[in-house]
Amino acid sequence: MTSYSHGGFHNPAYHDSETLEIDRRYSRKTDHTNPYAREEVAWRGSNNRTVAEHGSMIQTVSGNDSPYGGWQEENRRGRENIPMGLISTQPGRTPWQNDLNRSTSYSNIDSQYNPSPPGPPPSSITGKSTIRWRGNTMRRMSMFPNTDPAYAAFTENAIKNEMENEEQNLVKELVPLSTRERIQAIQELPMSFEEKKHIRSQVLAFKSSNQSRQCTCFTDCSENVSLFFRRCGYAIRSTKQTLGLWQGTMKEIGGKFGTSVLSYFLFLKWLLMFNIFSFLVNFSFITIPVLVFEPSPNTPANVTFRGLELLTGAGYFRYTVMYYGGYSNETLHGLVDYDMQLSYFFTIAVYMALCVFVLVISATNSFKNNYTPEASASNGAWQLLCSWDFRVTNERAVRQRKNNLRVQLKESLSENSYSEQLTLSVRLKHFGIYLGFWLLSIGLAAGCGASIFFLCRYEEQRTTDSVSWTLAQEAETLVVPFVVSLMNLVVPLFYSLFNKFEHYSSQRRKVYALVLRNVFLRLSILGVLCYHWMNVVSKKYSCWETIVGQSLYRLVIFDFMFLLLGSFFGEFLRNVIGTTLLPSLGVPDFDIARNVLELIYAQTLSWVGIYFSPLLPAIQILKFFILFYLKKVSLTRNCQPPQRTGRAAQMQTAFICLLFFPFFVGSLSIVGYTAWSLTPSTQCGPFKGLNNTFSVVAVWMEELEEIPGADWVIWIYQRVIRSEVFYFLITIIIIIITYMFWQISQGRKELIGILKQQIVNEGKDKSFLLDKLQNLQKPNRSNKRHKQMNTEKHSKRPEDHSSGGPSKSNAMFQALLARQQLEEEEERRSTDGVPVPSDISSSSALTLAMMARQRAEGQEEHFTRVSDQHFSQSSGFAHVTQVTQRSGGQLTDGYYGAPEDLDHPTSSVSSIMMQVMQARQRAEEEDRRQWAPAHPQNQAPSGSSALIQAMLARQQAQNEFDDGY
Amino acid sequence: MGNKQTIFTTQQLDAYQDCTYFTRKEILRLFYRYRDLAPQLVPLDYTSHPDVKLPYELIGSMPELKDNPFRQRIAEVFSEDGEGNMTLDDFLDMFSVLSEMAPRDLKAYYAFKIYDFNNDDFICKSDLEKTLNKLTRNELTEDEVRMVCEKVIDEADLDNDGRLSLEDFQHMIVRAPDFLSTFHIRI
Repeated sequence: MTSYSHGGFHNPAYHDSETLEIDRRYSRKTDHTNPYAREEVAWRGSNNRTVAEHGSMIQTVSGNDSPYGGWQEENRRGRENIPMGLISTQPGRTPWQNDLNRSTSYSNIDSQYNPSPPGPPPSSITGKSTIRWRGNTMRRMSMFPNTDPAYAAFTENAIKNEMENEEQNLVKELVPLSTRERIQAIQELPMSFEEKKHIRSQVLAFKSSNQSRQCTCFTDCSENVSLFFRRCGYAIRSTKQTLGLWQGTMKEIGGKFGTSVLSYFLFLKWLLMFNIFSFLVNFSFITIPVLVFEPSPNTPANVTFRGLELLTGAGYFRYTVMYYGGYSNETLHGLVDYDMQLSYFFTIAVYMALCVFVLVISATNSFKNNYTPEASASNGAWQLLCSWDFRVTNERAVRQRKNNLRVQLKESLSENSYSEQLTLSVRLKHFGIYLGFWLLSIGLAAGCGASIFFLCRYEEQRTTDSVSWTLAQEAETLVVPFVVSLMNLVVPLFYSLFNKFEHYSSQRRKVYALVLRNVFLRLSILGVLCYHWMNVVSKKYSCWETIVGQSLYRLVIFDFMFLLLGSFFGEFLRNVIGTTLLPSLGVPDFDIARNVLELIYAQTLSWVGIYFSPLLPAIQILKFFILFYLKKVSLTRNCQPPQRTGRAAQMQTAFICLLFFPFFVGSLSIVGYTAWSLTPSTQCGPFKGLNNTFSVVAVWMEELEEIPGADWVIWIYQRVIRSEVFYFLITIIIIIITYMFWQISQGRKELIGILKQQIVNEGKDKSFLLDKLQNLQKPNRSNKRHKQMNTEKHSKRPEDHSSGGPSKSNAMFQALLARQQLEEEEERRSTDGVPVPSDISSSSALTLAMMARQRAEGQEEHFTRVSDQHFSQSSGFAHVTQVTQRSGGQLTDGYYGAPEDLDHPTSSVSSIMMQVMQARQRAEEEDRRQWAPAHPQNQAPSGSSALIQAMLARQQAQNEFDDGY
Repeated sequence: MGNKQTIFTTQQLDAYQDCTYFTRKEILRLFYRYRDLAPQLVPLDYTSHPDVKLPYELIGSMPELKDNPFRQRIAEVFSEDGEGNMTLDDFLDMFSVLSEMAPRDLKAYYAFKIYDFNNDDFICKSDLEKTLNKLTRNELTEDEVRMVCEKVIDEADLDNDGRLSLEDFQHMIVRAPDFLSTFHIRI
């Protein structure tokens, strides 16, 4: 051991600080691929920091009386490491001096402004509560299983310090934030409440201390004001919660049926709120002015209320404000002039724009939160770890859920083998079945559309454009909505039936196929109806908007009735049959997809009708309100939670997107078409006498021209709204932006792929290095033994120590070890004259070699061992460093014992040293490669030639060094 | 509501509001829920920070928790002593994390701790087995349990160390958007 330090003395060049650069470079390099190395280095850094703190803060400089009894040596080493710049080997961390300064300043502040005892002391490592400290402490702990009690004790102290530092850093981070951000940050800390409170009080104390220095009336006031606003915010939040509709019911449903069923009810509630909003908009801006100025509708004398109007919406209702025809085109003169034309147009327009806004926002939000690129990839993990619904509180539901989960897990296990078994013929068969059923479904939808078309035509021939209809005539109008609703009820049942015959690989696909077919059906029916209204009705009737409004009213009413019937027959009767007559059927599941589609359809009707019947949302509100209770009762009485809990959040996203894309966009385009292209009826309504609804704006502009201050409005109208160039530009800009975002998303996709690959690679690296580390630990120990045995012998050879001397860089250290072994072996050979086959069994190639030539054997052995070590070393350098440092502690001590040797900076020599090392490694690599074919005769010379290279390089280094001197 | 309540001081309420996701009213409601569990133990005056702890048996009997297969783990994770005995602060902390407002990362952190039965900061095979047994009432055969656990680790373990670290878990959570709504107990 001492001999090493002597060697260092003799060759001071190896102690120059630049040599350390090698070390640093290596550790930095490994940082990228090997997380463990970084942890380890950081860990070492924290040791140093701890020691340094104790040294400078508490002023107990007496080195050997360090408080870490059993770990003195490690401490000493740590301290001696400091001047050697080990700290600078941690590029990711802030210099420890900063931390130190911070911590001292904080401890002062704490003592000044926070007289209360500072939070719970971060006590033992085994106690679980301490592990709540932010991730890294916890990870660091798990890095080192408590093998050595002394080490553990040291670890504990270091961690304690580390945690204090972290806490102070945290407080420091929190102080400059704004109040709102700070509260958010504190809320998000994964700590217990006590700790959060502690942090909060520290932050507040620090803040107030800052302010007290510049205490003015203003800061005091602003503090009070901000506190006041914060309390106001809390109050608003709590009143909002109080106003929240159906809180208890929602909790009950969630508790009994889980999140997926709850999402249906949340959707229903959202739609209800939406309709309340649209009702308020329409009612206040369109209806109220009319009601104020003309309280009674101007119905013809022979029209009276007969009761059937509630169903048909015709007759008496025809002349009320329910429909388009009930409004006039006059300007109402009161306190202010109120132009009905303008208000009608702009209310509808603004309402539609708001709808677009709300829908786009909620759809994109939902998409952002719930979109997962490859959800199916981690199905098993998801099922086990994320699928449990913590909301469920009902015992029966819990039992059922457990059963479902078990079935699903079993299925997913069997699915793996199933998908592999599929042969081509089976696949073809499945494909044929899909195709057949899809054709059948689309055919059904088209058939429904066609039959509705002919029915409408027939009905249109029967009715007349008279002021009042007879009762029979009025009742006849009910045929179309009845048939439409019946189709909407019955055809989906067929679709569900089809679904049973198909073999979908996943539940999600199955549901999506079903939903898509239903969407087709409803769209085709609605499309035919709209076509009929736009092209036939609009030409025939004198007040056609009202007629369309009535049709929509009937559709809404009948849809509601069929919803009631549907839940009676579909759920109640099915339950009765399932429980009494055919127990094999069992209790029906709550079919979320079907129910949500029904809601979407109902909402679409209301959107289409908004122009023709502005008060339709009122009916809708009533409908949804009743539906909520009905469904709730039906659910709790008749249904069980769905057996397969798919990914509810994704389904929800899909539904919101569906609501937006075909349905809302469809109704928007219908309303837009009506406003732009169709001639409003000449007899009634706010737009009578105009070419189209939109020309109301042109009329308004003409009026505005007389008013002097409104030039800019006219300018906007002329140059922006009416100019094609503007729309052209807008379109181009939007296309460009879309393209840009598309490109960005492509780039992100690639990046995600690369990062994923990187994670996988790092994992592989880690496991590989860990394996190597474990393998290395054993041979290193034996090496150490050898070395201790042979130190005296080696001291005779100064040349050797020259190679050992620079081993502040541990690569050289390793090289030295190998070298020593070689020489040891040689020595033995020379003294005994007989080779000592200590490691024969290590490789079979060697055994072969031994048989061939006894004399070469010893060398061979050592070469293989050497090369083995170096091979792993080149990959897991930092690990080897750690291992050797730990296992060969005394050796390092020996070198560190002579720190004065380190102060000889000769840069050229260090670079030569690098060369030596590389040459050395190359030599051994080569050796190893050549050993594989087991041709001992050739190997000895080639191996030695590589060695000679190394020797030459070293010689050069020596010369260079001498020159330097 | 008004300012008449004397259970907490204003400062206490502010601290609670800043550190949890609850409004003042919810905090009071939660306090009453807490007190209802053991009216004789919990005083109506918390201004002097009384040191009251409700045993796990009482906490676990709440209707929100009593049928939850993980109730004991939840109580253990959130209680200061690790045994499931909770102070009011722990209680608020627990429902704050389980509330709607809590962000994904916070929820994921605590969910990870809940599933980490042996507190070694990794979800290893034994933890998964325990989870599985809790979720399926021990009705799977040993072979199936083993296969499911292997599958889970295979899917979610990104760095191939044979167990799930917090990062692995968080990564999985990001791809499971339902988690936010299911890891939620309404009060």
